[in-house]
Amino acid sequence: MTTAAPGRQREQRPPSGEPDRGGSLRVVPKWRRQLRPYLLSVPAVAIIIGILYPFFLGAYYAFLNYSADNPHPRFVGLQNFKTVLGDSAVWHSVRVTVEYAVLATAIETVLGVGIALLLNRSSLVGRVFEKVLILPLMIAPVIAAVVWKLMYNPTFGILNHVLGLGHSFNWLSSRNALFSAVLVDIWIYTPFVAILVLAGVRSLPKEPFEASDVDGASWFYMFRRLMLPMMWPYILVAVIFRLMDCLKIFDIINVLTAGGPGNLTTTLQVNAYQDSITHFNYSRGSTYMFLLWILVFVTARFLVSVLGKAQRHAAGAEA
Amino acid sequence: MSGSDVNTPRNDWSRRDVLKAAGLTGVGILAAPALSACGVGGSTKKPTGKGASDVKGGFDWKKAKGETIRILQTPHPYQIAFQPLLKEFTQLTGINVKPELVAEGDYFTKLNTELAGGSGTHDVFMTGAYFIWQYGPPGWMEDLNPWLQNTSATGPNYDFEDIYDGLRTSTRWDFKTGSPLGSGGQYAIPWGFETNVVCYNQRLFKKKGVKPAETFDNFIQLAHDLTNRSANQYGVAFRGSRSWATIHPGFMTQYSREGARDYTVKDGKLEAAMNSPKAVAFTKKWVDLAKASGPPSWTTYEYPDCTRDLGNGNAAMVYDADSATYPKNVPGASREAGNLAWHPGPAGPDGNFATNLWTWSLAMNARSKQKLAAWLFIQWATGKEAMNKAVSHAAFADPVRKSVFDTSFKQRLNNFPGYLDTFEKVISSAKIQFTPQKKFFDTTDNWAVALQDIYSGQDAKSRLDKLAKASTATVNA
Repeated sequence: MTTAAPGRQREQRPPSGEPDRGGSLRVVPKWRRQLRPYLLSVPAVAIIIGILYPFFLGAYYAFLNYSADNPHPRFVGLQNFKTVLGDSAVWHSVRVTVEYAVLATAIETVLGVGIALLLNRSSLVGRVFEKVLILPLMIAPVIAAVVWKLMYNPTFGILNHVLGLGHSFNWLSSRNALFSAVLVDIWIYTPFVAILVLAGVRSLPKEPFEASDVDGASWFYMFRRLMLPMMWPYILVAVIFRLMDCLKIFDIINVLTAGGPGNLTTTLQVNAYQDSITHFNYSRGSTYMFLLWILVFVTARFLVSVLGKAQRHAAGAEA
Repeated sequence: MSGSDVNTPRNDWSRRDVLKAAGLTGVGILAAPALSACGVGGSTKKPTGKGASDVKGGFDWKKAKGETIRILQTPHPYQIAFQPLLKEFTQLTGINVKPELVAEGDYFTKLNTELAGGSGTHDVFMTGAYFIWQYGPPGWMEDLNPWLQNTSATGPNYDFEDIYDGLRTSTRWDFKTGSPLGSGGQYAIPWGFETNVVCYNQRLFKKKGVKPAETFDNFIQLAHDLTNRSANQYGVAFRGSRSWATIHPGFMTQYSREGARDYTVKDGKLEAAMNSPKAVAFTKKWVDLAKASGPPSWTTYEYPDCTRDLGNGNAAMVYDADSATYPKNVPGASREAGNLAWHPGPAGPDGNFATNLWTWSLAMNARSKQKLAAWLFIQWATGKEAMNKAVSHAAFADPVRKSVFDTSFKQRLNNFPGYLDTFEKVISSAKIQFTPQKKFFDTTDNWAVALQDIYSGQDAKSRLDKLAKASTATVNA
């Protein structure tokens, strides 16, 4: 007879996950062991319910002909995509969405980086301004848009009065509407970029700058060759956040122009909202959202890969 | 603990098991809509709650005593006037009422979502006639005709015929394409209504020595004469936002008076007529009027913007709902309070006063579980007694009942010059001037987009041709 059968050895091993402390077994009740897998799967289930379920349901609707007057929808394959992609107004929406996102993100990034660099110089004004700067972020964008809409009003709005534009200049005309919407976005979100970049700038190591200073490098040289490459990942993070957010823009435009005049400020989100909620065409609205998801996904993937390269480059600059 | 408990490691789930379980859960959840592919959404569920035929015996206000109903409303003079009376309803019926208010800008978004989701949360809700065309076909609204016909559910003094005929008709449809209003189920009971007419600043008119215009061309000239941009003053305010709400008030009223129609019926199908010669000529004039003598930011203008400018003295006239301008003349309500007067607006070329109307109505959620209580509430709120009180004690304008209008409301109109004359001039021609159809919001929103495009410089004829083609395809799809 053998002295140590495999079964015997297994019997002496502590239950998985429980350390063997001094040879004494700490026995976990059976119900707790049986409950553990369910508890571990809670986050996954929450993600499925909270994110993936609406996503897949929306994607599923995009392949049906589901609307209020057709509550018994049937599968129509790619018909919604063919209809939507064949509509020139949709491509116009894509163009407006991209224009808005690129314009707002570019201006916010430039202004945000500039403000961050100014605030990085420690001064009383800078410290006070730092606190005041976040105020626009504390206002819900929809409320900010309502306030700006009042300020834009040519009849009684403060902007025309202060800028001496009279009562005829229309901020929300076909020529100005998109830029006016971007302006509201800039007002709200430039502080976000500034704070993110400022945090990055303040976390940079001092040694390379001190060494350059000792070597007599100019401020511009240090900015271009040291600071910018090292803070580039932080700028890119801000760009990713803002670009993703701007591609999904809805609240500011819906309040200011509802997509008008005509379709001049109609973004994909505005189209999706109007089709799903106002026009009761759930499948067409879902198709818009699916297209927007593709746009956001592709852009995000690209930017994240750029971010990775920038981080590796910055690590090289730091070293 | 027995040794066997420690000795059963296979009872522990491996990571693969956990993942498998999570995956199965996910697949189960995701499969749910696939399994219900024949009936997506809650809207297809059968209505709940007892129907009108279940109510037997003599009429009694206490028949649903002890029940609680929830009503969804938007803050509005009608709702505000009735708010203090709700406790009287509870005393009368023993039914508790829980009102929920949602701002008008978000009201229909909430209502659309709730009804589409098949929710019976709110038993009664405020709605407009056009919404019946959208909410009715999927079965989201209760047909109130059986309730009206059942003498066990409806009191002998209710007198439904006392409500203006045009209003009763406007809330009734059979949902058949090309079929006129007035046939089919009664999906809502009118509560308050608005006719779209001209309200003007008579102080300014006297100062300029002008009178309201009687024809549309004169109206255009009058608005032009009253415009002085450098003095922050313009001739006429009317809606221009990117919404169906831009089409239905002044635009649709004058459009109809000029002899234009939205659709014609051919072989049981609708054909859009927004590009007919009359429609194109009128639309061009309307947009030119907006440019020359309208609000500088016309494409964002909704009715509160119009009435605000009138009340502040910036706009000399407003072409919109009479009940929207009415509150601005109440002492203390605006800078121009006391200076406002009403006029039917320009007559059509043949002298007609065709007028589009809007009626705030009360409807019952088909998914309500307290249908009798809900019906008693609707019956009470649209009844003579409560409406008389609302008119006498609060700013309830344009009651839907002729008996109430002729008594309580007329007494309140002494300080509202021209209001009554205007009402009496247009009421016989006031009805919903739109052709009922199930894609109303989609097509009429697009109509507003076309107006904005023309305002931005596009050619009226080609833009309206494009609109008509798209609208015909949409309504017949």
